[in-house]
Amino acid sequence: MSDLSLSPTLKRILLEACILVTVAFAVGLSINYQMVLNAFSGKTVSAAPVQKTTQTKVVEELLPNPVEIGEIDEMVAEGAMLIDARNIADYKAGHIKGAISLPIGEAETKLESFRQQVPKEQTLILYCNGFGCHDSFDLGVFLLKVGYQDVLVYEGGFPEWRDQGRAIEEGLQ
Amino acid sequence: MSKPTTVLYHLSRLILAVVFIYAGYIKAADPVAFAGQVANYQILPYAWNFLVAATLPYLELFSGVLLLLNQRVRPAVLVLFVLNLIFMVLLSYAAAKGLDIDCGCFKPDAESKTSPMQAFWRDAGLLLLMISTWMLRNRQAPPEEGLDG
Repeated sequence: MSDLSLSPTLKRILLEACILVTVAFAVGLSINYQMVLNAFSGKTVSAAPVQKTTQTKVVEELLPNPVEIGEIDEMVAEGAMLIDARNIADYKAGHIKGAISLPIGEAETKLESFRQQVPKEQTLILYCNGFGCHDSFDLGVFLLKVGYQDVLVYEGGFPEWRDQGRAIEEGLQ
Repeated sequence: MSKPTTVLYHLSRLILAVVFIYAGYIKAADPVAFAGQVANYQILPYAWNFLVAATLPYLELFSGVLLLLNQRVRPAVLVLFVLNLIFMVLLSYAAAKGLDIDCGCFKPDAESKTSPMQAFWRDAGLLLLMISTWMLRNRQAPPEEGLDG
């Protein structure tokens, strides 16, 4: 029968590798603990936090407000509209149930038809791919600039929504 | 150890050091974007992508620094070898699933995408460098002596 015990040198290498892994994890977690805590507690994780707007700012400075995943169902039930800011291929592959597509790259060309369908008083919840994706924020700034008054950004985006097992659908609506 | 072997050992060690210090640093600088790239593989639940993004870059970074300093070379190579094997399995999975994603190996918001298959072959090359570093290190410091790993 062969001897399966490890040599002392190999044991030492394995032990040092384990220490290396532990130290790296500890350092990484201590530097990024807020990001990890937010992710596991369902709070917004953002590379550049969405800023709150103030009513006194001029139109050019308006920025969309953030919205958390837990608030969306109630807002949609009250009439808010979900807008998918990702490209059309991503939208077709899967999007939040009931969301309509308005890719950031086509926002200007599709603005007129969007305006005809959606009144300026409508509450809009924009999302994209999460993880610091800027498309929904940029689209929010654009829609505020062209006159929409109640524009919100859901930063968790499609990945968080999908991974929480919430309703999604495929194809064009 | 002969001179060509010594040169080969230090060359492979330094290449690995530079690659993994760069890879770790660039990901550690933007963990949210890196979490997005991990999420593209559609393997982990949402929050776990952030846990990986918070810790993995430091594993690459510290292993790379040890290689650069020529200290604890075999433990560092072992860690990177296991990581690289995991990466290659994930890249094969992404290629088999037809995911049109950037591999997430280096700069999270890189404009030029590296496809999973391109990244797979690059990782295979790194794997060879790791094997040669491990073996040449053995020849430089025999296991019985147990100098510094």
